[in-house]
Amino acid sequence: MSTTSSDVFGAALSRRGFVKAGGALLAGFGLAGAEGRQTAGAVADLNPAQPESWIEIHEDDTILIRTGKSDFGQGTIFTAYRQIVAEELGVPFGAIATVVSGDTDRTPDGGGTFDLLMHGMPNLRKAAAYVHQALLDLASQRLAVAKDQLVVKDGVVSGGGKSLSFGELVKGQKLNLTIPVKGDLHSMFGLTVDGNPPLKPLSEYTIVGKSFPNSVIVSKVTAKETWVTDVRLPGMLHARMVHPKTLGSKLLSAGTLDKTEFPNAQVVVKGNLVGVVALSEWEAIKAAQQVASGTKWAEWKGLPGDQRLFQFLKEDADWKTAPVASSQTNKGDVTAALAASAKKLSATYQLPYLKHAPIGPTLAVADVRADGSVFVYTHTQNPQALRSGIAHMLTTSVDRVVVRTFAGAGHYGRSNGGNAGAEDEAVILSQAVGKPVRVQWTRQDDLQWSTQSSAALSEVELGVDAKGNLSAYEIKHYMPAMQDDRLVGALLAGLPTIPAPNEIGSLFGIANAMHDPWIYDAAPVVKERAYGTSQVGQASSPINVGLRDHSMRTPGQYQQNFPRELAITEAAVLGGVDPLQFRLQHAHEKRLIGVLESVRENSGWETRSERRSSSNGLSRGQGVSAMFRSGTYWACVAHIAVDTTSGVIKVEKITVAVDPGIVVNPAQLRRQVEGGAVMGVSMALLEELSFDESGITASDWRSYPILTMADVPEIKVVLIDHPTAEIYGQGSEAANALAAPAIASALLDATGKIARRLPLKPAYLQALLRA
Amino acid sequence: MTTIAVNGVKREVQAPADTPLLYVLRNDLALSGPQFGCGLAQCGACSVLLNGKEVRSCITTLGSVGGKEITTLEGLPARWAKQKGLSEADAAKTLHPLQEAWIAEQTPLCGFCQNGMMIKATELLERTAAPSVAEIKEAFTTSGPSPHLCRCGSYTGIIQAVQRAATAMAKRSEA
Repeated sequence: MSTTSSDVFGAALSRRGFVKAGGALLAGFGLAGAEGRQTAGAVADLNPAQPESWIEIHEDDTILIRTGKSDFGQGTIFTAYRQIVAEELGVPFGAIATVVSGDTDRTPDGGGTFDLLMHGMPNLRKAAAYVHQALLDLASQRLAVAKDQLVVKDGVVSGGGKSLSFGELVKGQKLNLTIPVKGDLHSMFGLTVDGNPPLKPLSEYTIVGKSFPNSVIVSKVTAKETWVTDVRLPGMLHARMVHPKTLGSKLLSAGTLDKTEFPNAQVVVKGNLVGVVALSEWEAIKAAQQVASGTKWAEWKGLPGDQRLFQFLKEDADWKTAPVASSQTNKGDVTAALAASAKKLSATYQLPYLKHAPIGPTLAVADVRADGSVFVYTHTQNPQALRSGIAHMLTTSVDRVVVRTFAGAGHYGRSNGGNAGAEDEAVILSQAVGKPVRVQWTRQDDLQWSTQSSAALSEVELGVDAKGNLSAYEIKHYMPAMQDDRLVGALLAGLPTIPAPNEIGSLFGIANAMHDPWIYDAAPVVKERAYGTSQVGQASSPINVGLRDHSMRTPGQYQQNFPRELAITEAAVLGGVDPLQFRLQHAHEKRLIGVLESVRENSGWETRSERRSSSNGLSRGQGVSAMFRSGTYWACVAHIAVDTTSGVIKVEKITVAVDPGIVVNPAQLRRQVEGGAVMGVSMALLEELSFDESGITASDWRSYPILTMADVPEIKVVLIDHPTAEIYGQGSEAANALAAPAIASALLDATGKIARRLPLKPAYLQALLRA
Repeated sequence: MTTIAVNGVKREVQAPADTPLLYVLRNDLALSGPQFGCGLAQCGACSVLLNGKEVRSCITTLGSVGGKEITTLEGLPARWAKQKGLSEADAAKTLHPLQEAWIAEQTPLCGFCQNGMMIKATELLERTAAPSVAEIKEAFTTSGPSPHLCRCGSYTGIIQAVQRAATAMAKRSEA
């Protein structure tokens, strides 16, 4: 059967033959544009000629979609992605019967699971737009009606008094649509669909904007979901790791096993990596405890310890080597403007290291087979990058490695560059014992051997004029490198990894960036800069580990938005202006004004230029914060009560107004924002990673506490649908950054005291309130 | 060989008596409801009902559960069907009202903790038919060995789902 081909806005539609059953249109890759893709080898990538592709239109009118992204609790791939594809294709939501995600051998694109809506242009939207046009071409031929005379509704094309469903259009045929793509499949950002197929006008939207339920919730609450924790392979062994005593300890000697007590257990040692495998999980746990008690490690003290952290960052860290990032909105002469200001503020703000702290510690199953192929079963935000990292570690080609992704505990950015922690260790152990191995980290492993969100400090100089306007604003942000995607098991075993952030060739380097866009356009003089440095302790660690950092929900921006927003509140107080009114006075952008006015109206904000006099014992206050991230404007009001004797803050109410542009799924967005608000309160009040000179000392939920249900405030979320913004901003991510500056602002309102260090724990506040 | 009663069925297990029940349920009986969260009874992801009381299966040994009725997330529909005296045909297509409420409210985010949340909610609603928000918060925070923790911050959705389920269960009790 000959292949016929036609052009669809730069994509190629071809008919590869006719079939009796199972006719379909498959939208796949354009090989020419896919840099770095290889199809040879034992474990091939998706072949564009095969039915593994972005979108499949089946003759029974069902549709399958594939995405290399995974679900991390946003539900986006099961809700918004389906809605966006259904909208572009012109089919009902329910026609998208299947979503395949996150497997390197079964999904087309890569990239990290973040920015899921990609400013309104996720790959699947464009892929769907190409498919829509291809279907119209087919219908035009079959119905003998000009393309522009055709109408699509609910998956049926009509014109000239005739109609055919999409299924009928593909029936009996094998059709392939080859879509142009660009980018690097295995990078942080993956492939991007190229070209400019016509997109459906927003005015014709009927599916985007509705609250469709998340299909995966049913399987999760009925125990039908296959979680990564449920993966069991034939002959699989259970493993526990014996991690080093410190973040810089070399192995002196590994402990031994009493074989009469643990007949089915085995110790694996490779370099400084020690693991214990056994037939049963319980035997692995007990055997690992025995091995750990006999294992000897070198001592190492290369960290400043949490008590000296900010002194270390201020006085000892090198901020001069990395290039300094300047904001694009910087303007004016700060020195002159400060000199001319009526009132001035000079202050330092400090944020501690935080943990992603997934409820389930990371785990992975690996199967390194005799033929050299490697299968990894895990929960990762970026399976293609993990695949690349595993191949690099084993000095093999990526074709030999398959990563399959399953549901797991959310970990908020930890694996957006590939690994969450245990995957490489599972591979190393599997290779050593020649069987599939399941590595389950303990809670302690997960707190002490995973990455953390960088600590940061910021210095502010600002001035306010006699009218109460911001006359000068300067901020310097200091933060160690925040994106270490090296595989820690490979580091321990002495196997190849990508470079550390301060080594030549590293993707992100040690430079900091301006993560928090300036939003107060009326300010005449602004100077924002960001300084970077190496990860603390890494260079002096004999095993090159130290405190490894990683982006975490609203990365970098959380660290920069807290000091800015608290400083803006302080400036308002200096100027004798209500802090919310002060923000409005300095805002030009209508969407920013919109969220600020909305949060004022919906929170019960009292506009007043002076703080309310406090009662004895319990002081109440209101505070506000605002932020712009990935196309979305946010404003938040916190209402708190402070026990001035105990220093305990009770957050009574959080009100969030969010304008993401087009709201794709209001119910899902609302839940995501509520969750982010809760995480934000937790970070503000409780979270701070403890560490000494050798390593992380937090080991469980008592030493790294998070917010409990008893302390959850009333949460009010106001969604502002703003279709004319013509953007789907990010709803799921950024809400966690809002609470801390709003709560600190409310504390200032309640007590007159300024807490410029997080978290706002009682002992710190007691000292502050007494001062 | 130890015999235990899980979701109304007697199961024989070959594992040492000191094995935590969690590993028996997951590895020997292939149940996927209870999850490993900490192994320290500090989070509640592994919760099951033991004679109707919420316990942490990660620190409950196999040897200690003989003769007691264990209910996991998988067993909630049958538990409800039995309480309501539903026919076998009706029972087969019934979810526990709590599961229905969790779906209707779209409560889970990543969902990893929700097994323990639904187990704790079952214990609560079997004892207190119409709990106040304060009683719900108390149940999930101070009534057990530790608070039930959710890192995604789904607590608001959990409170709303418990209230929805309580209303649904009260209606069906009247019917």
